Amino acid sequence: MSVAGSVLVGAAAVGAGGLLTLLHRTFVAGLALQAVGCVLLAFGGLWALVADETAGLAFTSAFDPRVGVDALSGLFLGILGAVGVAALVFATRYLEPSGKGRTIGALTGLFVLVQALVLVARDPLTFLLAWEAMTLVPAAVILVSRADEPARRSVFFYVALTHLAGAGTWVAILLLASEGAIGDPSVIASGSGVQVAIALAALVGMGAKAGVMPLHVWLPLAHPIAPAHVSALMSGVMIKIAIYGLVRVLVEWLGVLPEWLGVLVLALGALSSVAGVVYALFQHELKRLLAFHSIENIGIIVLGLGACLLLRARGADAWAAFALAAALLHTVNHALFKSLLFLGAGSFERAAGSLELDRLGGLLRRMPWTGGAFFVGAVAIAGLPPLNGFASEWTTLQSLLHVPAYGGVADGTAAAIALAALAATAALAALCFVKVVGLVLLGPARRDAVAHAEEAPGAMRAGVVALAGGCVLLGLAPGLLFGSLVGLAPWSAEAPTTVGLDLPGTGDFRSGGVALALAALVGALALVRGRRVAARAPTWACGQLVERQLDWTSAGFTKPLRLVLEDVLRPEREVAVRTEGGVVTEVAYEGRVPHHFEERLYRPVTALAMYGAHHARRVQGGRLGVYVAYLLGLVLVVLAAAKLGVLG
Amino acid sequence: MSGTAAAATAVQLLGGIALAPLLPGLVQHWKARLQGRRGPTPLQPYRELRRLWGKSAVDVEGAGIVYRLAPSVAAGSIAVAVLLVPVASDAPDLGVGRDALVLAGLLALARFAVAASSWEVANGFALMGASRDLTIAVFVEAALVLALAVAALVSGTTDLVAMIAGTAGSAAWSEPALALGALAFALVVVAETGRQPVDNPDTHLELTMIHEGPLLEYAGRDLALLQWAAAARHWLVLVLAAQVFLPHATDPRVQLGLLPVLLVVLCGALALTEMLVAKMRILLAPRLLGIAALVALLGIVTWLVEAA
Repeated sequence: MSVAGSVLVGAAAVGAGGLLTLLHRTFVAGLALQAVGCVLLAFGGLWALVADETAGLAFTSAFDPRVGVDALSGLFLGILGAVGVAALVFATRYLEPSGKGRTIGALTGLFVLVQALVLVARDPLTFLLAWEAMTLVPAAVILVSRADEPARRSVFFYVALTHLAGAGTWVAILLLASEGAIGDPSVIASGSGVQVAIALAALVGMGAKAGVMPLHVWLPLAHPIAPAHVSALMSGVMIKIAIYGLVRVLVEWLGVLPEWLGVLVLALGALSSVAGVVYALFQHELKRLLAFHSIENIGIIVLGLGACLLLRARGADAWAAFALAAALLHTVNHALFKSLLFLGAGSFERAAGSLELDRLGGLLRRMPWTGGAFFVGAVAIAGLPPLNGFASEWTTLQSLLHVPAYGGVADGTAAAIALAALAATAALAALCFVKVVGLVLLGPARRDAVAHAEEAPGAMRAGVVALAGGCVLLGLAPGLLFGSLVGLAPWSAEAPTTVGLDLPGTGDFRSGGVALALAALVGALALVRGRRVAARAPTWACGQLVERQLDWTSAGFTKPLRLVLEDVLRPEREVAVRTEGGVVTEVAYEGRVPHHFEERLYRPVTALAMYGAHHARRVQGGRLGVYVAYLLGLVLVVLAAAKLGVLG
Repeated sequence: MSGTAAAATAVQLLGGIALAPLLPGLVQHWKARLQGRRGPTPLQPYRELRRLWGKSAVDVEGAGIVYRLAPSVAAGSIAVAVLLVPVASDAPDLGVGRDALVLAGLLALARFAVAASSWEVANGFALMGASRDLTIAVFVEAALVLALAVAALVSGTTDLVAMIAGTAGSAAWSEPALALGALAFALVVVAETGRQPVDNPDTHLELTMIHEGPLLEYAGRDLALLQWAAAARHWLVLVLAAQVFLPHATDPRVQLGLLPVLLVVLCGALALTEMLVAKMRILLAPRLLGIAALVALLGIVTWLVEAA
């Protein structure tokens, strides 16, 4: 079977499976068929990537619907398929075959299909239509799954923002089409006005869809309220498709961009990664925390893209290709561990009833499979060796480090600042995920319901465990994929062929050697430590009694950082002490870290818009006579203008 | 493998694994002397390790696999870091690569394991130490990566062996970049070894400790592994300080010969700092390390201006 056949049959299977999902009797079979379709999509896509094969038609600037697959589309089809399989297998038990569940199941298939359509679109029309549908389908899923007031408001916000900012995508694609530059980088001159305009429009439109700060505010609203498997597809795949768009436009179709644009992209990446993880730290609900981490990881990917643009502008083609590959490798890695974490969160929510971090605890013991896979995902997203997150963060760090080696003072300094930002981001992510695994998986259960949580059913376990396997595999042998990713650069670049990451100008990250040495040494030390146990003792805690009231909370664990960053974060806290006759009877504490982008940037804008709309309403009197008067006035103005010769 | 390469490997492995406890021992010994006390002998850490090794571990009730594995993971990842960090400019690759940034990852892994274990025991003091350690680590990692970046730019690669060679001799030191990187790295050394003014290794007073906090519940072999890991951290950062961030010879034989002298001098410097400087308020430590990051950044800018 060829690439085209595999992708087509896969898409057909997803579609047919979606229809079967609508019927009560074939519900599970429908989801399974969708999963099989995803396997075929992933297979076809990865084949196109590894064999560097193209199928179907080539890109055109004409409004003439056509589809095709090349290696870059193949990579993202591979991501879509891989995450899709895990999410759909998970969904077979996660969704109930009720009316609501069946609709969500069918819409999941539609969501996969429209994303695949964006990836295979080869003309502006198909691309833009699929792009818009990709925004709307998850909105529909959220509205089907829950129709309460906050959810409706969040969906409104999501659709409004992605459409307003999404205009940038239209501007970019239509400008490219009118220049005839879709699929042809030789058309637009480097440094020309139209090149800059397209690049900026794409950054706004696709950046908003990816969740790049400061256009990210929809993401932490929309992602947490979707059903777990759709959250996984949104965070794991949908925002990555915006990265696909950015790579197509910025790297492939626009040729060499001016340096200041590379610096701008770096700045956006650094802002998103640091601010994303800092706000994630102060979230106390698991899915919302994970949504903020998506912003952080998109920031890391954008840092890689920025390094690529700068290195390309400096003529360092080999490292520019490595930087692009670093960004794409992190795209794959984030797709794996973020969908794993979202699916795991879905299982925890089922088992424990809530995802409030302070009210979970000890789930690793109650749910060893889901909990263990979640732990792997947490270590991976914290960017620690020997898992995949470290491999891609290492290559991104190396790419940034090589910018000053080729660059001038300004872009070299920008890259050095980005380097520090990425190092700090990794450490902040480690802090955040120590908190998450501690509060969710480790320690005592903090509620009775959590103490009796049951392990998720087999299908739900299989989804997360498979994704954890992917994280381990790409951690051990990132070179398996990295070579193909280097080959995706539109300029010629030599790809390394080792399973580790042996790049020139580095000391080589021998991922396999490091993992093997770690496993051997840790195993040996654990054996030496032995099972000899003198006593099982209660927690000593310097003699202090360990009580449930003294349990550490999410807010407590992040307090040192909150104090250090007080000037930037401006946390709000309120302590109300009630006394009766000089005796304290009740102390109420409330603290929160406000989301400044929302409150300082967006709220004034929306308030102004509402104010404007309120006053504009006066114009709309609703009486026929008034409108006739407007028309008359307009005619008079036009006539007067014609008389004065203004109209020419 | 040439004679010096074999010697360098031997020094790297023996020194990193067996001699590492001597370094904190020397610091403690001299610190006591400087304070007018007789103090413990420099071999005291070995005695403690022997005593702890003879005892069995304690499993805290309700604690699971993360608690039991954390000391092994911490010590294991530090041991891999010992394999990674060469002591001379012709040391061979021991199968884990030679990359400076991988070192940062391994140090972070050890930190993650210990911090995660403190949630298992639900000991408030352990968690306090862990959260402080991870908070300060944010700034330490930024400073560490930038300081390594200065040396990497000067020598043109992040390969540690090439970095030792690239910063050797006097030419690399004719520009201020490397000196600024060294200044930043000095503060990283203080933070990574858990010494004053960032942390006080002597204190077991609950409210002031950072690195000691998450170790509170451990005993026996677990504690021995964690203490060895802390000593090996001294070895890693001091070797880097001596062979990259201090002026050193170009000949690997001279580098090897002078290494013990430099390490002893650096231990003395740590002891002197400990005596002269009081521990900072915890919330000021990130500021200090932020300054370290800025100094390293200044080093990179200087290098860029020189190169332009």
